[in-house]
Amino acid sequence: MSDISARIHELRALENLSTGRTVIHRLHPFVKLVSAFVLIVFVASFGRYDFVRLVPYLFYPFVMMALAELPYKLFLSRVLIALPFCLFAGLSNVIFDRATALSIGDVAISYGVLSLMTILLKMYLCVMAALLLVATTPFPELTVQLRRFHVPMVFVMVFEMTFRYIGVLLEEVHAMITAYKLRSGTKKTIDMRHMGSFLGQLLLRGFDRAERVHRAMRCRGYSLRHIPPAPRQLRHSDVLALTAVCLPALLLRFLS
Amino acid sequence: MHMADALLSPALGLAMNALSVAAIGASVAKVEKDELSEKKIPIMGVAGAMIFAMQMVNFTIPATGSSGHIGGGILLAGLLGGVPAFLSIAAVLIIQCLFFADGGLLALGCNIFNMGLIPCLVIYPLIFKPLLKNGIGYKRLSLASVISVVIGLELGAFCVVLQTLASGITELPFSTFLALMLPIHLVIGLAEGFVTAVVLCFVYKMSPDIIDSSQSRQCLNVSAKKVLVTLALLTVTAGGVLSLFASTNPDGLEWAIGKTTQKVFGTEAALDPGLSPEEGLFESAASLQKKTAFLPNYTFASNPDNPAGTPASGLIGAAIVFAFAGMTGLLISKVKRSKKAGAHV
Repeated sequence: MSDISARIHELRALENLSTGRTVIHRLHPFVKLVSAFVLIVFVASFGRYDFVRLVPYLFYPFVMMALAELPYKLFLSRVLIALPFCLFAGLSNVIFDRATALSIGDVAISYGVLSLMTILLKMYLCVMAALLLVATTPFPELTVQLRRFHVPMVFVMVFEMTFRYIGVLLEEVHAMITAYKLRSGTKKTIDMRHMGSFLGQLLLRGFDRAERVHRAMRCRGYSLRHIPPAPRQLRHSDVLALTAVCLPALLLRFLS
Repeated sequence: MHMADALLSPALGLAMNALSVAAIGASVAKVEKDELSEKKIPIMGVAGAMIFAMQMVNFTIPATGSSGHIGGGILLAGLLGGVPAFLSIAAVLIIQCLFFADGGLLALGCNIFNMGLIPCLVIYPLIFKPLLKNGIGYKRLSLASVISVVIGLELGAFCVVLQTLASGITELPFSTFLALMLPIHLVIGLAEGFVTAVVLCFVYKMSPDIIDSSQSRQCLNVSAKKVLVTLALLTVTAGGVLSLFASTNPDGLEWAIGKTTQKVFGTEAALDPGLSPEEGLFESAASLQKKTAFLPNYTFASNPDNPAGTPASGLIGAAIVFAFAGMTGLLISKVKRSKKAGAHV
């Protein structure tokens, strides 16, 4: 449960990073969203032994991180979150796919190991593409872009509200857990028999808060018929950046 | 239970994304029809954030020494109704994917299907609500919660197995994978079901109108039979047709691009799965590639007998590319730092 404060910190750290003023931050959100998605689809489309063909894609995270002046430590800790399930699937390949793929000196490398390396590299590239997107695009710009993609207003509003209230409610949970721990001696987690009142109280307080939030929003003129801000036009630099990401990704996929 | 991009084929990932987008679209249309939709949106947003916060609260699973946390699909459906709960869970999953690296953009469709659509739009209307049809009481609420959560979680885990195997990334046999996934999710499901039951009973005791009003709402404007038939068809499509496509033709994207280029350029060369450079644009691109290649014998997987290509030279090449990419990043950082230092002076 100590990771609640870590999660609050992580959420704020990424949001703070997204307000930077580097060349990547200034790009149109459309460019960043499309290039991240294209990269993920291309990376996922490689075969299970295509480790070598995937390596050139590492230019994307390395160059983007440097240009956007982002810290590696924060990103690597996020990559580790995605690791367990991929490692589980990859290790099963090591066990079941034992034929020798290649030898380097006296060391034989099996197809299973090669596929494990491929899965881990794919995981790293995909996670980094998504993280780079949110670390260089402020959240309001992201939601405006979703509206431009004709995502329904209702869903964009739910998405925005959820994001805004995660921080608030995590702090509330953190305070409740601290209070519980102070009253229960050396316990590190909550007893099953206390979960009903613990989470139930959180729920009821959350619903009360939602009512107050809704009234406050209405007072400030909130309506579902709210018109999104006028979109910024794509500049030449945006088109150039999109080409610079998508074209090499396409060539590496089909001509290598 | 979050699926990752690395374990998914693009064909299946995109198909599941399309399916989830369609489900979100239908749910939004349903919520918009409701007169109270404007009032519901803040509640749905806060409820989504609450589920996220609740997932941070670990509870001790008795006699196991381990701990678990709540998933929240059935709990939210019990409080808000199936459709609003589905939208809230979808929003939470998108945030988890983007900001916390839980799941991935390509796998988002699978995760929304497994953890949102199954509990909120299938289990809730077909199991949870019918169990409470004859009135709400603590016993009925508890029974409905435990049964719904366990079945929902097991069905979700089963779909994870199907989706992973259909993508052809892992060598794990179907039966072994299933034997690993289902029992562990049964234990987790029982614990989560119990917690969902006690939370719903607590809310029912303190504020019964919340549960009563969610039960009085219609979940979807279609019959249960239609839902079942549609889901059966979708499962067959995703699990059968797409898995065949994924396993026999892993380069489906290449195939699609080949077809597209054939249409555009009208050459036979475009039909070659490897886009073999024979004439025109491909010849020029290939000759450019030959000129710029720094390891001319750096061959990749083109021979089916040796899917790893020419391995040792390939790995050495990969190591050089890795170092080169890292050095490029470092160089850019250094240049930017020195420029900044110069600006300060």
